[in-house]
Amino acid sequence: MEQELVSLQNQAREQLATIQNTSQLEAFRIRFLGRKGQFSTIMKRLGKVPKEDKPRLGLLANGAKREIEALYSEKQTALASGDSGVSQCCNTIDLTLPGRKPVPGKLHPVTQIMNEVCSIFEGLGFAVAEGPDVEHDHYNFEALNIPAHHPARDMHDTFYVSDSILLRTHTSPMQARIMETQQPPLRVIAPGKVYRCDSDITHTPMFHQVEGFLVDKNVSFADLKGVLTIFTQKMFDKELELRFRPSFFPFTEPSAEVDIACVICDGKGCRVCKRTGWLEILGAGMIDPEVFKKVGYNPEVYSGFAFGLGIERIAMLKYGIDDIRLYYENDLRFLSQF
Amino acid sequence: MKFTLNWLKEYVDTGDLSPEVLSEHLTMLGLEVDSVTPLFPELQPFKTAKVISVEQHPNADKLKLCEVAVGDESFSIVCGAPNVREGLVTAIALVGSTMPDGMKIKASKVRGVTSHGMLCSERELGLSESHEGIMELVPDTVHGIPLLEALGMDDLLVEVDLTPNRPDCASVIGIAREVAGITRSRLKLPVDSASLEHSNQNFSVDVENSEDSPRYAVRLIRNIQIAPSPWWLRKRLLSIGLRPINNVVDITNLVMMEYGQPLHAFDYDKIAGKKILVRHPLQNENTFTTLDGKERNIDPSMLMICDADGPIAIAGVMGGMNSEVSDDTSSILLESACFDAVSVRKTARKLKLSTEASYRFERGVDPGGCVTAMERAVTLLCEIAGGKAAEGGVDYYSGIRPLNSLKLRISRASALLGIELDYDKIADVLQSIGIRCKPKDDDTIWVNPPTFRVDIEREVDLIEEVARLIGYNKIPNSLPTVNLSYPEQDPKRKLRAQVSTLLCNIGFSEAINYSFVTDKHLDMMQLNQDDSRRAVVRLLNPLSEEQSVLRTMLLPGLLENLKRNINFQKNSVKLFEIGKVFTPQGDNEQPIEKERLCCILYGLRAGEASLLYNSEKKVDIFDAKGTGELLLETLRLTGCGAEDSVYFRTPDENETETYADRSQCLLIDSDQGVLGQVSRINPEVAKLFGIKRDIFYIDLDVELLCRLTAAIKKFRPLPVFPAVKRDIALLVPASVKAGDLLDTVRKSKEKFIEQCEIFDVYQGRPLEECMKSIAISVTYRSPTKTLTEKNVNKSHTKIINTLTSKFKGSLREG
Repeated sequence: MEQELVSLQNQAREQLATIQNTSQLEAFRIRFLGRKGQFSTIMKRLGKVPKEDKPRLGLLANGAKREIEALYSEKQTALASGDSGVSQCCNTIDLTLPGRKPVPGKLHPVTQIMNEVCSIFEGLGFAVAEGPDVEHDHYNFEALNIPAHHPARDMHDTFYVSDSILLRTHTSPMQARIMETQQPPLRVIAPGKVYRCDSDITHTPMFHQVEGFLVDKNVSFADLKGVLTIFTQKMFDKELELRFRPSFFPFTEPSAEVDIACVICDGKGCRVCKRTGWLEILGAGMIDPEVFKKVGYNPEVYSGFAFGLGIERIAMLKYGIDDIRLYYENDLRFLSQF
Repeated sequence: MKFTLNWLKEYVDTGDLSPEVLSEHLTMLGLEVDSVTPLFPELQPFKTAKVISVEQHPNADKLKLCEVAVGDESFSIVCGAPNVREGLVTAIALVGSTMPDGMKIKASKVRGVTSHGMLCSERELGLSESHEGIMELVPDTVHGIPLLEALGMDDLLVEVDLTPNRPDCASVIGIAREVAGITRSRLKLPVDSASLEHSNQNFSVDVENSEDSPRYAVRLIRNIQIAPSPWWLRKRLLSIGLRPINNVVDITNLVMMEYGQPLHAFDYDKIAGKKILVRHPLQNENTFTTLDGKERNIDPSMLMICDADGPIAIAGVMGGMNSEVSDDTSSILLESACFDAVSVRKTARKLKLSTEASYRFERGVDPGGCVTAMERAVTLLCEIAGGKAAEGGVDYYSGIRPLNSLKLRISRASALLGIELDYDKIADVLQSIGIRCKPKDDDTIWVNPPTFRVDIEREVDLIEEVARLIGYNKIPNSLPTVNLSYPEQDPKRKLRAQVSTLLCNIGFSEAINYSFVTDKHLDMMQLNQDDSRRAVVRLLNPLSEEQSVLRTMLLPGLLENLKRNINFQKNSVKLFEIGKVFTPQGDNEQPIEKERLCCILYGLRAGEASLLYNSEKKVDIFDAKGTGELLLETLRLTGCGAEDSVYFRTPDENETETYADRSQCLLIDSDQGVLGQVSRINPEVAKLFGIKRDIFYIDLDVELLCRLTAAIKKFRPLPVFPAVKRDIALLVPASVKAGDLLDTVRKSKEKFIEQCEIFDVYQGRPLEECMKSIAISVTYRSPTKTLTEKNVNKSHTKIINTLTSKFKGSLREG
């Protein structure tokens, strides 16, 4: 009996150690600790042992059973907390699964850049004004000192609707429209769609521009440089090098093209900047006295500057887009990137 | 404008400026250098070769076997040229090089004998039309050196993008003048200035209209021997891509490139009546054949050069066949004129004929330079073509405006540029490019712009010159001093931002489509013939039929976008666009431009979420309706205390769009008119766009959306007393609309109803056919007390009774 007890105790101990999951543990419980389990059986037999051996064997049997019970509950806790030393494949949450995220849409990259440009100038106190896409020849050309038969008209491949009505080729008509109805001081930007009959890998027949102008007393070319320097540096998040070079627009004098150090190669020279290290991003200048005269401002009293920039071009540079036609295909694989 | 560096150096000392630095300087002067490239890159592999010996080819009468020396090496070459001979120095294409026409030179057998290269003719090299034999270089030319070096053509081609205001720089001398300003050196001109003594012994000139032809100079040169030009002259023309023709034509072209003055040579013997008339065509003069052999229609607005019989040239554009210089010409009339820019431009435009001459006249030719350039050409004609210039000629200049001195205020220039200037600084830079200055008073300078600077007419033009010459980058940066003001925001911009943000947040991506579309869209949308959107603004000069009319609706563009995305295997597409549509007005009036908002929904409701959670559920009309509802709520046009001035309703028969599915179509109406619709696309229309599955859209009038009054944000105290919820399950005929049930509850006069909602709709077994069950949850709440069973029951019973009687329904059991 005594030996039997000891071997049962050892057997139970050994078996318990090998148990890996709750069902094995349950089988163990039934076999050893259950109502008809081996410990119960042995306990029942205790009644039949000689009287003098009873206390000793009873103590021994109870001790053995208590030990196994303690080991059993220890095992139970360990299994429940997953700390069995062996991995547990049931009842756990696999946190490597992807999150359940809502799928938002995206603003068109042109809108994103447009918003960015506008907010920089709004921060400088510029008002935002929009005008018609279909313009009078007068506002698109005449009022901007581009008379009929001026060679500068070659710079604008114009879509016509009738003799005097056309799709605006730039957002500059807003200069004339606003100056005609308001008095200086003026600080305005005019974003919008513009159209040129030109289509290839670098041109789409419709694109977006932002025109800006500031008119007041004593506005100088140096002021133009200062404002545009702030703009480009905010736009490209860098202490970018900037250069102004002489150019020609009939509605500004002096006129300038503004180049930034190539953002692709940091000015070292690459394919995008045609190895010059510079990228043209803006046209600008001091508003021509003729433009002022046409809207009834006295050019001896007022001066001002104007500038215009292409949104697609800036988006191309900022995001590295290499084919302008992608903008208007509205392919979600494109739109979702920005 | 193209020129070569060596050519430029003939007129100006470029000092120690490298080509890169020189280009940089020109660019920063506003003469943007587009490219600097080696001349004739395709001729770089060719070398000079000397023929050592010539033998007859054993198998061909006309071929020779030659040994040629190329530096230290020698090659055996088979050659068929008649002029191949011992001692000749010529051009060789060695094995492995490529001819200008793309042919690769390989060692190949010619009638059984291997040739290790090819001796080339000028035509094969693209240098002239000559193909009678192989090229003959000067006999003492070293062999084995690059051909370009031997020809003096190892030069750089510079291309400058000229702005329209600088016609003076459409000439090598013009560019040289700017360079002289940089290096502060003197210009070296072949002819500085010249004048022409008046004589009309040999011919007469009559200019009818001095406005169109301010200056007209002609001179007779006899004894001309037409021949190919010498190499140096051909080389100049070839280097900038002009084709040499003969000595006379080449000289006029060379001088045009040098001085920017277009010249024309008439064959004197072909001039009828020895009379030149500068006039507009007569009634009967309708066509004219230009020297390119094309017959052109002329009209009375065009200025012509005529002889006694009629037109012999289109002034400033192109000469005529009838007076063209030919191989047997012996006397020429050389014309050097200044024609009016606008007149030439109009003519060239009408004729769709743009020439080197018209390019220059359109932008403005130096009225003071005609005779100088002519003198240069006459000198060359005498030197090269054996010409003998007749004494004097005709120089008509009545149309030239006298030159005015301009006043330049130092203070004005300083203020406009934002830089401190003084007389010395200004005079220094202006005089560096030949603009003369003298002080008038402390603040004013008298400036005499030269005649070739046709762009300088006003003080501000001079200020630009000063800024340009000082260098824009030397002007400091500053910021304007302005009065503080708050620019009002455009409500439409605000609305657009609000709507776009919302739509993006709920899964719509923004599309931007072209404003011009094909008018086929209108048929594809099956619009009725009298639909106002069929009236379109049409472009006079569209790029293609696909982009020929301004859009009157946004939806077709989005459907095209959808199709594209489906093609690229997208199974969930939600797009929106906010853009203008155009309604035509009168012919010379601007169309009305109105902004609209359009959204489309297609495919999986969950979007392209992780596959793991992807539900297969597709969007339906309620997704579209829900989007519309959310949009209106966000704009505070519905809900949150907004008056019920905006609402959804089913359209009447005549209000349904042709492209909408009648059974799934809702109007969004308002007290100011219909705001838009929410609908499923008619499957037939979808099919026309190549889409087979369900598409839903929302189309809204942004202008009206802007005009509607949004509910102001106003706090309402939070309820203090608990709410009581009661459900009603009603069995009603299937035709009953849930919305009508809700309306009935909402409009009932029962107190304490806070909210009512549909929470279940069921149709099918075990219900009878034609019946459905609608379950409504009603929330009761009092602001002043806790509601008792009794309070609620009373109201609830009344509501149930109203509903059952009004909709012929019954309470559903269990």
